[in-house]
Amino acid sequence: MIIEVEELVKYYGDVKAVDGVSFGVEEGETFGLLGPNGAGKTTLMEILCCLRKSDSGKVNVLGYDLVNDSYKIRSSIGFCPQETLLYDLLNVHENLAFSASLYSLGSKKFKERIDFSTKVLGVGEFLTRRVDKLSGGMKRRANLAASIIHDPPIVILDEPTVGFDPTIKREFWELIKNLKSYGKTVLLSTHDMYEADTICDRVAIMEKGKIAALDKPDVLKKKIGGESAIHIRTKDTQTKDACKVLEKYNCVLTDNEIQISAENPWETMTEISSKLISKGILTEKIEIVEPTLEDVFIKLSGRRLTEAEE
Amino acid sequence: MNPIIGIAVKDTKTFFRERGTVFWTIAFPVMIMLLFTAIFGRDIPFNANIGIVNEDGQTPVTAEIITGLNSTGIFTLKNFTDRTEALRELNATNVRAVITIPQNFTNDLCGEQNVNVSVVLDGSNADVARLVSSGISTFFSRYYRSFYSATHGGEAYSDPITVNEEVSATGQIIGYKENIVPGMLCYPLLFSSMVVSTGAIVYEREKGTLKKIRASPVHPLNVLFGKTLAALFQTTISILIMVTLAYVLLAPKLNWNPALLAPIMFLGSMNGIALGLVISCIGRSPQEASNAATTIAIVLQFFIGMYFPIEYLPSYLQQIGRVIPMTYAAQAIRDIMVRNATLGEIALPLTTLTISAIVLYVIGVLLYRRWVEK
Repeated sequence: MIIEVEELVKYYGDVKAVDGVSFGVEEGETFGLLGPNGAGKTTLMEILCCLRKSDSGKVNVLGYDLVNDSYKIRSSIGFCPQETLLYDLLNVHENLAFSASLYSLGSKKFKERIDFSTKVLGVGEFLTRRVDKLSGGMKRRANLAASIIHDPPIVILDEPTVGFDPTIKREFWELIKNLKSYGKTVLLSTHDMYEADTICDRVAIMEKGKIAALDKPDVLKKKIGGESAIHIRTKDTQTKDACKVLEKYNCVLTDNEIQISAENPWETMTEISSKLISKGILTEKIEIVEPTLEDVFIKLSGRRLTEAEE
Repeated sequence: MNPIIGIAVKDTKTFFRERGTVFWTIAFPVMIMLLFTAIFGRDIPFNANIGIVNEDGQTPVTAEIITGLNSTGIFTLKNFTDRTEALRELNATNVRAVITIPQNFTNDLCGEQNVNVSVVLDGSNADVARLVSSGISTFFSRYYRSFYSATHGGEAYSDPITVNEEVSATGQIIGYKENIVPGMLCYPLLFSSMVVSTGAIVYEREKGTLKKIRASPVHPLNVLFGKTLAALFQTTISILIMVTLAYVLLAPKLNWNPALLAPIMFLGSMNGIALGLVISCIGRSPQEASNAATTIAIVLQFFIGMYFPIEYLPSYLQQIGRVIPMTYAAQAIRDIMVRNATLGEIALPLTTLTISAIVLYVIGVLLYRRWVEK
């Protein structure tokens, strides 16, 4: 394990922000912390980045103890928080040079890292532009480039795509996948289930400072998210007849759409289709809907992720 | 709500919720008024150390004079048995004048003969020299009238005591320009350095960029040194502008000794910057830190003898002034420029400023860890 966290606890006054959290991250893995705002993700990440002190528990990063070897750990981590930590009045190159200086990077290594940032993160096109003249997406890319300018083996991203439009989000996911292909271990926090599902090898679902579940997204969905569902839409005039035909499948009618839970969705869908055709009922839509991480969160907490944030 | 009112209400609420800002906003006028009241709102607006060499020995007259000088309230007397030692203290500006009561003073005065009291004034500060001179002359004149009245009854029509004055250091009481320029050169050490460095940490924290620095393996002391270097550069620009303008526009007749002025100004700036960094570490918002720095700098200028001598302060405030490191910088600059002080003579200010800078940086690191990393 490149990161090992044991029974970590952090209080803010009387509030237990992180409540006995334990987990490990494998080298080269993309590990996600999924949960609503206030779940303790950011606090946990800031502890790992030596920005906050825990009240109890143990953290090992690359074999170094967080308390005794914090300076070695700091050198090994690239931290990219939600907010853009760039100086508006400096251009991107100057910002990267400043970040490099914090890690005592030599000029040769700095040049190599600029090349890397240009190739992998695409900052080359706006290297000489002042930060306050950049678009939001460019700023985020420059921010990520500055965070990993010292070529750390571990990259910690706190809600890296929050506030992005879908296109830029997808671009950013590609960047994160690129980092993984360069052997980086990525630990990211998000409250976007689709993001966690798409880019994370494993996900820890956090709720009220605790890890409620931890596994690969597919395993979580299968184990906790429940069965797959088949959604069927027919002509409005035939919906009642369809419900009668599919009575034995315990179907539920929601918004003129018939929903059926199925352990083996493909087999069930074939059966259903045959039955409906034999009764002369035409389907406008029939699809298998797999459980999502949202379903997992609902099963674990009894509410939707968005409700939890409210 | 009207947006103008909305903004005003929001800013006012923010102001009242930043307790530090509220504190410094109130503290500034209170401190200034208390200080002005302490300096000017009393009958005796001046107190200077005076050396006295009594060559006439212990007589009732000399005892009365010494008691009388002490009881004026404007002088604090230091007795010397040796005139050379007294003058040495004068040159070190530990006393502002040396009064020598000559041999046979009592006999001559009682015999109604003319007597000469010798006074050597410290000319390094024109205002002090004038006040001391005037105070001593007035005292002896009044003393003789009281002496005559006690021994003869009635008013004396002539005054046989002559106060012979001479001025040490420059040989003459220096002019206004020469008096004010050394004080002006303290301005960047106090204001520029503090103002520049006060924003250093607190603005980074406000903007969030401090996270980047804190997440890196840079030691807090190096963070403070990095900030110091930038502040020192900006302060140096201020110093160079001040020195150039003072030299060109005012052309004062002073000793511009760069070899001695540079280390004093460097250490003075380091003290100002370190103090600014300390404030910056404590400040919870840029506004609060800025208010604190402005208040402290303005108050300090009265204590350190920048524009007027610290003898203007009541003696208890003078004691405060004497423990403020910047006072040593201001005094050393004046000594170098006015009295042509040597390296040996400014050794004490150099040492004091070095030690205080180290102490301030240690405090800065502790506060950085306590407040910034909290």
